[in-house]
Amino acid sequence: MSDIQEAMRSRAKELLESGEVNAVIGWEAGRFENQTTPLITSQAAKTQRLVFNEYCVNNLGKYPRDLTAKGKVAIFARGCESRAIIRLLSDEVIKRENVYIIGIGCPGMRDRTTGELLKKCAECRHGDPVIYDEMLGEPQAKPATQERFAEIQKIEALPRAEREAYFTNAFSKCIRCYACRNVCPCCTCRQCFVDQRREGWLGKQNNIAENRFYGLTRVMHVGDRCIECGECERVCPMDLPLMSLNRKVIYDINNLFGEYETALSLDEPPSALTTYKVDDVEEFM
Amino acid sequence: MSMVETTPGAWEPKIVAFCCHWCTYTGADLAGLNRMNYPANVRVLRIPCSGRMNPQYALDALNKGCDGVLVCGCHPGDCHYSTGNYFARRRMLVFKRLLEYQGLEPERFQVRWISGAEAGKFRDTVTEVVEQVRALGPLHLNHELVLSGMEVE
Ligand code: SF4
Ligand code: SF4
Ligand code: FES
Repeated sequence: MSDIQEAMRSRAKELLESGEVNAVIGWEAGRFENQTTPLITSQAAKTQRLVFNEYCVNNLGKYPRDLTAKGKVAIFARGCESRAIIRLLSDEVIKRENVYIIGIGCPGMRDRTTGELLKKCAECRHGDPVIYDEMLGEPQAKPATQERFAEIQKIEALPRAEREAYFTNAFSKCIRCYACRNVCPCCTCRQCFVDQRREGWLGKQNNIAENRFYGLTRVMHVGDRCIECGECERVCPMDLPLMSLNRKVIYDINNLFGEYETALSLDEPPSALTTYKVDDVEEFM
Repeated sequence: MSMVETTPGAWEPKIVAFCCHWCTYTGADLAGLNRMNYPANVRVLRIPCSGRMNPQYALDALNKGCDGVLVCGCHPGDCHYSTGNYFARRRMLVFKRLLEYQGLEPERFQVRWISGAEAGKFRDTVTEVVEQVRALGPLHLNHELVLSGMEVE
């Protein structure tokens, strides 16, 4: 990883000095041991602060949204970043000519305190970038150690009352900080329904009903566009099992409308919920 | 409707039916014209097309005290806007499963295609849904329930 780190620093420096890009998005060391934090810089000198190690837990993929207005940005992209960028591109949030994607193969990231592989990385099926302009180092072909829908099937097998208790308990913990929305590469609406105070979709109370309303609406809004990066679940300060909701929708899409995985390339058919077939499953007769 | 609310103490299910303007709403109208009897527990709300059915409407209805939600639209192929109900069908298939997954009884959220001529089907559907929900009892969504150690291994 240290040679990748060296390569990152020198490529970032070159790109900024040549004026090819306006800014670079990567990671730098954080304040604590084994912690990193995103680094966004336009200064060639600062590229020496870039790091790459097993604790680069942040998915940088959403940052281009806020930066490309001023011109081209370079971003270091593993599987999750590359898919987030495809998400932004297919949702027409950014333009292809405004991102320069430097691919890095990902071996999986670790928790800062326990040293264990992160849950999202154990579940991840695409550690290597699916789109890039250049590649640093070799693809890692990291296997997913966790079955994609195992969690969903486990919950589905519970009796209804237990599922209700499980999710009611989960929603009762939500503090509606909206971190899960802020970090999500699918959540790029200029104005989110939670902020439309006058329309009043969502009240200001913090109770289970409102939290559930927010939680389920988020899942439906993200829906078929979720890239399964697991960032929402990682950032949630209250440890809500958000992936067990996101993946439920994907699981059903898989079962109802055929094998589905989004944001793997730029020329994909329309996502499952924005299209239809005349002979789709019929249950509502 | 007034009948329901003037019986003090007795719980009556409250169902909101989101009905497409071009078919089910007309069907409900026809049921009325034909003096068909159906339970007054259902409140009919008109939407322009089943494709307009926002999952948030259903969530909000359940949050605000309804015991069940019914969504009705034109039969596939008959949508006034050609394809609205095809999109709605996909969305509702997924949404219904999500609601049930997180604990809602299947009877409390239902979707049916009912045309403008099917007054009888409207009456039967509404009656059926009301009776199913009555059997389930009131929906308590907002009770504060914090169970510790409820983890899925
Ligand atoms: S990050 Fe967690 S606590 Fe914050 S709004 Fe999302 S689910 Fe709720
Ligand atoms: S919903 Fe969560 S897992 Fe899905 S794309 Fe958004 S942040 Fe990633
Ligand atoms: S007009 Fe009735 S479902 Fe579209």
